[in-house]
Amino acid sequence: MKLLWLSALSCNGNVHSFFNYEKIDSFLKSFTFIYHPAIESDYTLQDIVKKDIPCDILLLEGTLQEGLQKAGVDIEDLIFRYGNKVKKIITVGTCASFGGIFLDSEEKYGLHYRKKEPHDKFISLKEKTINIPGCPIHPQTLASILYSIKKEFEIPLDPYQRPKEFFAFTTHNGCLRNEYFEYKVDNHQFGNIEGCMFYEHGCQGPFTNSSCNKILWNEVSSKTRSGHPCLGCTEPTFPKYNFFETKKHMGIPAHLPLGVPKRAYLSLAGVAKTFKIERFEKKLI
Amino acid sequence: MIRSELIEKIEGEATLDYHFKNKAIEHVDIKFLSSRHIENILKGKSPLDALVINPRVCGICGHAHLIATVEALEGCYENLEISQKAKKLRELTLNFELIQNHFKWFYLVLLPLFGQKQNIYKATHPSKLMGQAIATIAGQYPHNSYAIPGGITNEVLQQDIIKIEQYIDETIAFYQNHLVDADMENFIDCESVSKVLSKNGDLIDILKTIKQNKWTKLGRSYDRFIVFGQNSYFKAGRGVATRVNHNLNTKYITETNNTDSLAKNVKFKKYYYEVGPLARAMINKTALVKDSHRKYRDSIFSRILARTCEIPQLLIHSKKILNSIDIHEPSFIEPSVPISEISGKATSCVEAARGSLIHKIHIENNTIIEYNIITPTQWNLSNGTKKDSGVAQKAMVGLKDIEVAQKVFKSFDVCSVCTTH
Repeated sequence: MKLLWLSALSCNGNVHSFFNYEKIDSFLKSFTFIYHPAIESDYTLQDIVKKDIPCDILLLEGTLQEGLQKAGVDIEDLIFRYGNKVKKIITVGTCASFGGIFLDSEEKYGLHYRKKEPHDKFISLKEKTINIPGCPIHPQTLASILYSIKKEFEIPLDPYQRPKEFFAFTTHNGCLRNEYFEYKVDNHQFGNIEGCMFYEHGCQGPFTNSSCNKILWNEVSSKTRSGHPCLGCTEPTFPKYNFFETKKHMGIPAHLPLGVPKRAYLSLAGVAKTFKIERFEKKLI
Repeated sequence: MIRSELIEKIEGEATLDYHFKNKAIEHVDIKFLSSRHIENILKGKSPLDALVINPRVCGICGHAHLIATVEALEGCYENLEISQKAKKLRELTLNFELIQNHFKWFYLVLLPLFGQKQNIYKATHPSKLMGQAIATIAGQYPHNSYAIPGGITNEVLQQDIIKIEQYIDETIAFYQNHLVDADMENFIDCESVSKVLSKNGDLIDILKTIKQNKWTKLGRSYDRFIVFGQNSYFKAGRGVATRVNHNLNTKYITETNNTDSLAKNVKFKKYYYEVGPLARAMINKTALVKDSHRKYRDSIFSRILARTCEIPQLLIHSKKILNSIDIHEPSFIEPSVPISEISGKATSCVEAARGSLIHKIHIENNTIIEYNIITPTQWNLSNGTKKDSGVAQKAMVGLKDIEVAQKVFKSFDVCSVCTTH
């Protein structure tokens, strides 16, 4: 299967994250890049912009910007030219999906969304697009979706066109600090394995769709496992600034766990807080 | 005659306009044509947000941007206490980033310049190990923000130390099996290029190819080196050839706009300097690189040798750091004053994979007033004039063949995204 990896305004973080894919050697036996920003390919970027090279999937990385050119050709023209021909388009990372961290003006956007707002610039390509956000992308998510396309599997998507198999979960699923969350113990301090970062340190894990604690990063860890709050980087709202700080209204977190009504959260929290559980008040080791 | 070439796969792209006179390159204009304006994005944000934004400057050296950011923020404090454990772990994760970069550069960028195919396995296998070592401490790689003012977010347990040591050992074995078949402890103390050339390995093949093709004079520039970052391994200093002066002050750095490129030029006291592994080895007086420099000066031979030899040096040194960590020390010491109440200006300098990275910050009232980033590739690829060329420009003057000029250009390990932050 032939892939074209096209970069808009990016940091190349998705390229390097994908290099961490555990089975990249066997992947490259199943897929060929007609162009990739780092891997040798049969065609140069200049070939890509001058000719029509056959390919099956367009991988688009980076924030789009009005007038942005690749090898002298407007990137929008390239997206239409290759997008119209391929079977599928994948936005690789949050920048290409929703605009991401470099979205600082009206001239910038993701392929089909500006943050949460859909736009119709590439509406004719929307049906064949799968959004795989993440800053950066999780290598296993991208590889799995490409294999699924190759095998012609049906890929259920959520309303933001993210594959449900990876984005139906939250970062909170599998977080090793869950006990502290369940019993509403809000004594987290950085540099410790104990404590939940949801109450004071801005962790967005309970309302961020991702598999970060289900499919570990670099096969070993995750942000929350290393005592770092989830930044919500797979969401269209990323970046929600004032990271490391939990926004609250009247002492209640402004953003509650995904799908949990305020009343249910407050009732449960109220009950949990009536208990003092000694194990959660001291160091585990 | 001017010939314009698009250079691809350099963490982005750049355009080189080669000016020929009498069939030889007289001057090269180096142009970067897009920018993400990260310094503007930072303005008005809360200081800690820089810890999240700045790693996104670059996908391959984003960790250096994190460490530079946290050190700049900490520089705004007076008497901030940071444990040795946190300092050592930060140094380790930065070392691991440098190492993964050097493997990728060698097997993805360098091999094709010498007529060989990229080797994805050899590029990614050791890089993955280093990524895993970083993730064990920092949660993930790339793009984590685990270093915060006062220390690091992770506690780090005995089992983590054991795992990291295994990743280091496996990477050392990989280097020995593939790049240079020598005992690494002896290799890092080797003083002779000739001895190294008697060994086998992928690095040796490249160095021999350079010698066989008589390319040992290729890529010479001003022979001026500068290193701003310092830690338990690197020393700060500047030098011309082997003369080294350790007195450096960042106030002498000047950054100027380019008329036809979105990257800025950088000088120290009106001069262009080379940064990166060759500069670090010259300032550190690494014996093997000094021998190479004595024979071949600041050529591609020395540049390639310095970058690839930095791998075992950093691996062996990292093992020593790892074994000196007391895990019972705190990872994080809460600053007595929160950053929201701190106002000030600070400059930080760290050694990133491609050379010295400088961050300057000004914060007031929990807001970033000004942020300035100077990246290593800006130093090496400054786009000067015919009379006052940048380092890479100077290194290409006089060459007759554009393919050969590309070898010189890419010997600097170019990072387009850093340059166009």
